[in-house]
Amino acid sequence: MPAELPSQYYCATRDIFQARLDNMVNDLLVSKKIGDGNAYMISAIAGEIGNNSFDHNIGSWPDVAGIFFGYQFAGDILSVVLADRGLGIRATLSRIKPGIVDDQEALKVAFFERISGRAPESRGNGLKFVRENIKERNMHLKFVSGDAQILANQETEIKPFGQKIHGCLAIIDLKI
Amino acid sequence: MKIELKKFGEILVSRPAGREAYLAIEAYLTKGIDADEKIEIDFEGVKVLTPSWADEVVTKLSAKFNNIVLLNTQNSTVQATLKTLAEYSGLKI
Repeated sequence: MPAELPSQYYCATRDIFQARLDNMVNDLLVSKKIGDGNAYMISAIAGEIGNNSFDHNIGSWPDVAGIFFGYQFAGDILSVVLADRGLGIRATLSRIKPGIVDDQEALKVAFFERISGRAPESRGNGLKFVRENIKERNMHLKFVSGDAQILANQETEIKPFGQKIHGCLAIIDLKI
Repeated sequence: MKIELKKFGEILVSRPAGREAYLAIEAYLTKGIDADEKIEIDFEGVKVLTPSWADEVVTKLSAKFNNIVLLNTQNSTVQATLKTLAEYSGLKI
């Protein structure tokens, strides 16, 4: 069974996530540590990743519904962490692209190809937005799904994670 | 006709919220308006915008109306979102 999460980090529903994302925007603006533009952009990136979890797992959560969402300043780094115990990128994309052979290929498709995990709905632009603006703002993203990870900054690297996780984990870092 | 997005909130991020906004726009703001009439979409006051929300509103409005004008797009997330929609969702404004 998954570990119990402290309630302040657990967003069982999208509404709770939205409210906490709103709080994060206000906290970041009040802190005046990263500038308004960075505060808005890191919130947009977190919003895309967090909402993806709900979009692609609604009605299909394997065990625990909802996401972990937390953020903190540690030294001169702002870290935002999101995680879910959903189906993961490979299983989601395999519904509409059955030939995906492993988790690394699934991450490549999700972050680079024009594809919607909820076809026939036309979607699939969120993670491209994430990748491009991580680079634009010189943030760092570590995104793990299954046994693969994508590390993105000015360059993007996809490689094995070393262990298999349920769902997705995203860590976004921004140097102050 | 001007659509002020801040009236839907300052932080516009999810597809369900965007879809709800578009339904309200269709029902209350653009109902009966000719496809060639000028539609101004005003981003003034919007702090955070994502492609998910905007795809449900801006892309759909641009598909329905022929004369869309975007106002006050200086916010960095608005600029980045419009760029993503142009590249991946076929937004042409």
